[in-house]
Amino acid sequence: MKTLLIGEYREGKMLESTYELFGFAAQLGGESAMLMVGSESQLPAYGGTLYLADAAACGEYNPDMHKKLILEAVQIENPDCIVFLHSSYGWDLAPRVAVALKAAQVSEVIALADGGFEVGCCNGKMRRTVKPATAKTVLTIQAGSFPVLQPGGTPDVRKLEAAGGTTVEFTGYEAAEKKDVDLAKAEIIVSAGRGVGKKDNIPVIQALATALGGELGASRPVVDAEWVSHSHQVGTTGQTVSPKLYVACGISGAIQHLAGMKKSDFIIAINKDKDAPIGEIADVLVVADVMQFVPAFTAKIAR
Amino acid sequence: MFLDLSEEQKLIQDTARDFAKAELEPVAASLDQGDDRSPLLNNLKKLAELGFMGLNVKGEYGGSEAGVVSFSLAITEIARACASTAVTVSVNNMVAEVIQAVGSEEQRNAYIPKICSGEYAAGGFALTETCAGSDPAGMCTQAVDDGDSWVLNGSKIFITSAPYAGVFVAWAVTDKDAPKGKGISCFLVEAGTKGLVIGKEEKKMGQHASATNEVIFDDCRIPKSALMGKLNDGFRIAAGELAGGRIGIGSLGLGVGLAAMDYSTRYATERSQFGQKISNFQAIQWMIADAYTELEAARLLLMSAAYRKEAGKSFAREASMAKMFATEAANKACYKALQMLGGYGYTQDFPVERYARDARITAIYEGTNEIQRVIISRDILKNFS
Amino acid sequence: MKLLVCIKQVPDLESRFKPDAAGVWYNETDLAFRMNEYDEYAVEQAVRLREQLGEGCELTVLSIGPDRVVEAIKKSLAMGCDNAAHIQDAAAYSKDPWQIASIISAYAKERNFDIIFTGMQSQDRGSAQVGVIVAELLGIACTTTIVNFDYDNGTITAKRELEGGIKGVVKLKTPALVTCQLGLNVPRYPTLPNIMKAKKKEITAISVAELLKEESLAATTSFHPPAKKGGGIVLEGDIADQVEKVIAILKDKTAVLR
Repeated sequence: MKTLLIGEYREGKMLESTYELFGFAAQLGGESAMLMVGSESQLPAYGGTLYLADAAACGEYNPDMHKKLILEAVQIENPDCIVFLHSSYGWDLAPRVAVALKAAQVSEVIALADGGFEVGCCNGKMRRTVKPATAKTVLTIQAGSFPVLQPGGTPDVRKLEAAGGTTVEFTGYEAAEKKDVDLAKAEIIVSAGRGVGKKDNIPVIQALATALGGELGASRPVVDAEWVSHSHQVGTTGQTVSPKLYVACGISGAIQHLAGMKKSDFIIAINKDKDAPIGEIADVLVVADVMQFVPAFTAKIAR
Repeated sequence: MFLDLSEEQKLIQDTARDFAKAELEPVAASLDQGDDRSPLLNNLKKLAELGFMGLNVKGEYGGSEAGVVSFSLAITEIARACASTAVTVSVNNMVAEVIQAVGSEEQRNAYIPKICSGEYAAGGFALTETCAGSDPAGMCTQAVDDGDSWVLNGSKIFITSAPYAGVFVAWAVTDKDAPKGKGISCFLVEAGTKGLVIGKEEKKMGQHASATNEVIFDDCRIPKSALMGKLNDGFRIAAGELAGGRIGIGSLGLGVGLAAMDYSTRYATERSQFGQKISNFQAIQWMIADAYTELEAARLLLMSAAYRKEAGKSFAREASMAKMFATEAANKACYKALQMLGGYGYTQDFPVERYARDARITAIYEGTNEIQRVIISRDILKNFS
Repeated sequence: MKLLVCIKQVPDLESRFKPDAAGVWYNETDLAFRMNEYDEYAVEQAVRLREQLGEGCELTVLSIGPDRVVEAIKKSLAMGCDNAAHIQDAAAYSKDPWQIASIISAYAKERNFDIIFTGMQSQDRGSAQVGVIVAELLGIACTTTIVNFDYDNGTITAKRELEGGIKGVVKLKTPALVTCQLGLNVPRYPTLPNIMKAKKKEITAISVAELLKEESLAATTSFHPPAKKGGGIVLEGDIADQVEKVIAILKDKTAVLR
């Protein structure tokens, strides 16, 4: 099996998540090469072939040109799999490459399965095994599903250049809203999910966070409902966290949320639904109503 | 035989359910506990904008023309989240419908669009008096012909939404010498009319967010044009419109009963005693089976009554049967739900005690269930004599 | 201007899912279906643009699936779409994203839509491929995961949601396709009068066989619940008991309470 890994680069930096691609490739086995639209000052610690195009010339988000570059590398390498991260970069670009190659695409791969790939579905509640029927396959892998692997070494850089226009003009980044909390640095995070019920109950979760000496986190629905500000959001569209202790209160565990917190050292989930996907990754699943368990827990700790 | 809902009816049910879950359910408990009614009024306005105040009213008057089945479905979904909001919506629909049924073209154009659009937060249905509860024909409020106006004197009690109703449909005796029930007429009285006094609000067991007040007519002078329908024909109007309102209240009861059982059943699958889920115990299983069976029977009775009304068939007997059965099923369901939660069910930390208080009145208002039995048996017996 | 919005009907995600007889998708019995949440944002944005552009603009909603999807189509019509195309396919669930996108592009090819809206992904399958593939097959500009949308005189300005709360600002010339992320707008509730009036709007039924000429590129071979992570402790029963146990575990396994 030969793979072409598509690294990620944004705002002048290679993204650390790029190393998950090596973790995936190691599980799959076989040779691999990487392609990245980035810069020579930001090379991955890896000793293999790196097809490198200059982001300053090609743009950090320019799907037409990035597609062309990838197709060029595919032409040279003839890989069996072209592997992206399942990210705003990967899910945008992967189908374009798949169509050009008329290759099967399998999205949001979380594991290898017998002769195919395991992917999540139904909001993370269920799994599918998908088997591609084409010679080449395009994959996007779920963040956090494969280990971070730094192979070490210095890549053999082969420069690619692309020319031509674009149909999507990228005009710049807009910074995230100002954060009043830095969850990435927190050692303990207590997060509120939809199961908390209503905005008025948020202080109950905050009280537990305070009692444990941690920060308040939240799942996306809670932030969307404006119960908690966006700076507290944990997950792929919020912050990715890895505290020593993560307490998920009334969070069912949408895959986007799990990806943002599954690397926590120890996870306690409180949920009414024993079958909630959060139970899959929790070290302890407390099957209870959040609004009953949390106050009792807080009271006991505070004592 | 076709028991499925149409796509439109399903969409209306979904819209009501989505709105209730997002907007009504989060404020229901605090509305029950607090004095601030602004979240209710706010939600009534939004419900009006979505078309929930004139479900069975023609489009030319600002109604939705969605029919009676949709009305029943909507009230049930709203009541699953907040019974106080549901009763207000039900009464508003009834007021709009009575004006559409018996009002003149001028009267319809003057009032129905204001109820449907939410310009009026509510409409009032002023029938009941201290001396005329189950026996409305025995009312004492009088309307006297005084040249170019009517002068009303008397008082009504238990009037839903009175402090924020924009118009009242009010009944008064216009011929006190006529045989009982033959000398009553129906009037439209606008809020703010001199002599219309909104009296004290009742402190009720449940449905706290819905105001229930005394309404006093103290030499209340209204124009001659405020008479609705024919002179001395008011009692027939009231009797006819109450039948439609019963579908609303039955649907409300069903919604509260379902909310209680859905909550308690989920609880039973989570609560453990004696080392196992309490839902493993037959005592709990029987409560679940009985309550859901009765609620399903109630739903079918309501659908049948609503369908008959929508199809233009006679429906008074079916509406009474549905109201009586659904509200009793709801009360039994709330009793069981509270029992399933044990001591917790009796506390305000759980919504079941609110459901139980909210459900209780449904067996009383819009005609007590004893009166429903009178109506049902009379309608049956007339075919045997 | 001609606009198209593509929607999917999906089960209520709160439901319990059981594999179907073939074991490759969920069993539909007892599931309640509704419009895919991402698509509600797509419909809302399309309707807002339709309102902005006024007369001379036509907004079509398209859905592929069995008869039940007509309910989701009617919701879109009640929200403000002008007409609908129902691609009738009782086996839509078995089609891969490539085939679904091929059907849509075959429909859209001759109709020359200026802007196509889709959800960023479906809640049930979650492939996040269909919109992009449609755009590639039609050879039109495309961007994904938008949380902000503006249109002026042939140019779309959109904000893409990137990881960590950062947004990327992009401009596209029509014809173009955008895939919509949650939070793009606040989808309206259809009003009851509009639900009733939507009955009169035209829904064109087209058999899937007329549009689908492509074979599947990837097959689902199994649909199953996730394997339980080993070692996870499940605590049930009394709250006070649960609290005691959690504290004991925290003291034993973490440094948090030491």
